[in-house]
Amino acid sequence: MTTTQAPAATRKRPGGIPPGLLRYVLLRISAAIVVMLVVSFVVFLFVHAAPGGPEYAIAGKLATEEQLANIRQIYGFDRPLLEQYWTYLGQLLHGELGESVIQRRPVAALLGEAAQVTVPLLLFTWVIALVAGVAIGIVTAYRAGSRIDRFALGMTTLGASTPAFVVGTVFAWFFGVELGWFPALGIGDGGLDTIAHLVLPATTMAIAVLAITTRISRVRIGQILAEDQALFARARGLGRWWTLRNVVLRNAGVQLITLSGTIVVSLFTGLILVERVFNLPGIGSLMVEAIHDQDMPVIQGVTLCAALLVVVVNLVVDLLCMLVDPRLRVRLESAR
Amino acid sequence: MTAVPHSTSTSNRSRAARFRVPRIPVLTALAGLFLLAVAACAIFPGLAPADPGAIDAAVSLEGPSGEHLLGTDQLGRDMFSRIIAGARTSLLGPLLLAIGVTVIGTLLAVAAGYFGGRTDTVISRLVDLLYSVPALLVAIVVAGVTGGGFGITLAVLIVFGLPLHVRNLRAAVMERAHLPYMEAAVTLGLPTWRVVLTHLVPTIVPNMVATFFLVFTYGVVEFSSLSFLGLGSPPGAPDWGRMVSDNRATIFTNVWPAVVPAVAIVLLAVSTNLIGEYLQRKHDQARRQR
Repeated sequence: MTTTQAPAATRKRPGGIPPGLLRYVLLRISAAIVVMLVVSFVVFLFVHAAPGGPEYAIAGKLATEEQLANIRQIYGFDRPLLEQYWTYLGQLLHGELGESVIQRRPVAALLGEAAQVTVPLLLFTWVIALVAGVAIGIVTAYRAGSRIDRFALGMTTLGASTPAFVVGTVFAWFFGVELGWFPALGIGDGGLDTIAHLVLPATTMAIAVLAITTRISRVRIGQILAEDQALFARARGLGRWWTLRNVVLRNAGVQLITLSGTIVVSLFTGLILVERVFNLPGIGSLMVEAIHDQDMPVIQGVTLCAALLVVVVNLVVDLLCMLVDPRLRVRLESAR
Repeated sequence: MTAVPHSTSTSNRSRAARFRVPRIPVLTALAGLFLLAVAACAIFPGLAPADPGAIDAAVSLEGPSGEHLLGTDQLGRDMFSRIIAGARTSLLGPLLLAIGVTVIGTLLAVAAGYFGGRTDTVISRLVDLLYSVPALLVAIVVAGVTGGGFGITLAVLIVFGLPLHVRNLRAAVMERAHLPYMEAAVTLGLPTWRVVLTHLVPTIVPNMVATFFLVFTYGVVEFSSLSFLGLGSPPGAPDWGRMVSDNRATIFTNVWPAVVPAVAIVLLAVSTNLIGEYLQRKHDQARRQR
């Protein structure tokens, strides 16, 4: 049987990374670095794109002429643009993101504090949305056309059409106010209290993203189940779990990894909204407040973080796909 | 699919059967009615029973009653009238977005899929580059940096909403670009614009319609999210997303002013989604029977 021979054949391959794969990996990593450089330049230009010019972006609308001249001197806005960018890039590489205009504190410190709220929330909802979405996808694909399948399909339509802030507002009212099960606002004072405060925001986010994960995994798993290999596995009397592990999940691997990357990005966007709904002091709230205050260094810092997240996630997804699916690696070698 | 009427069984029945009203699922019909109602409110804001901006502290935060069908907000403004007044803003953004993405997306898809070559390479690379960038996030950042504005937000959402749809439409174009009738049209010496406009584009209209409704649905979510964050319409304006945000503080005393606009947003998005899916299904069925 080919199924038993295939792994042996791959193991026989001499050690080391094939040249096509190595080239792909290096190309992909350098592309990510170039994208980050471009993003950093655009983010650097933010200050110059601000209404009223860069001095106002730093000093605020009420600055006097003397203060403006002072700022021009300190920040070097009178120097050539590329020279300014060079300085900015140097600071970035040292982890210096500037200082908040409103709060007069380093942006890096503000980001660090906000990340303590956002990152656990992000990870928690990411795991829930992924595991639950794939599980529902498997169940509904195995019972295509059943009542559960149609119900899940209806719910994904509803979920995809419902903005995260609507779910959040309804949850805050129903579970927070009407039933009083969980606190509806704020972050709590650490420990168990904080966890209780995070239940509603996390559920809100997970529901908003569950629609995407369920739909995509349902479609892909349905496709695989319709393929001959799934039929063959069943005809041979192979167990359900064996088929699930070795036929369905292995084949869906690439799509599921891509999906998990996509939802990290949409979770980050969704968190900006959900943090506003539940008044959580996370990165999203930091961003929205900075926008309302025109606090440019903070806007720059958050944007860089978001861009770094998107770029790194996409890089990791692409590399993981190569690792998981040998067919992609073979295609690389033959395409050369 | 269950209970799809088979073509052979219908042909055996009487001729009258062919002229019966098409069977539309109840939910889709309701969705259509709701869309018509919102469109009517958007075109005739005068339908509102009261002035949406009229402040009356005496009736602050009242529940639904005969006088105020959906209650009042903190300033005593009639929620029903405010919902009607907000229809125009809530519809306009997603509508322009959907038109923009469908039209520009089709242009790019035809350029890439029909002409191919270097044009295709450039467009496809650009699409790949923009594909993983979240449109809403960019719109938030751009609004923050430039101070916002409807036009610039719309432009950002169109540009970053394009990739998925250019990809889909391009695939549809390529499927048809080299069919015999297309080659016949070229052989007959028809000018390229005529081949594209009268022979290619009409065949991808169903794909364009699907794109339109999908983008509209996302547009409702995106624009209302921006309004919720205070990056859309100005404070106090009767915008649905804005209303949810403004009335969030009073959910502890009266939940109606926050939930009513929220429900309106969801109904609008679900309605367009349902209608889009219905049209898509009809098209798929018609294709299978051919």
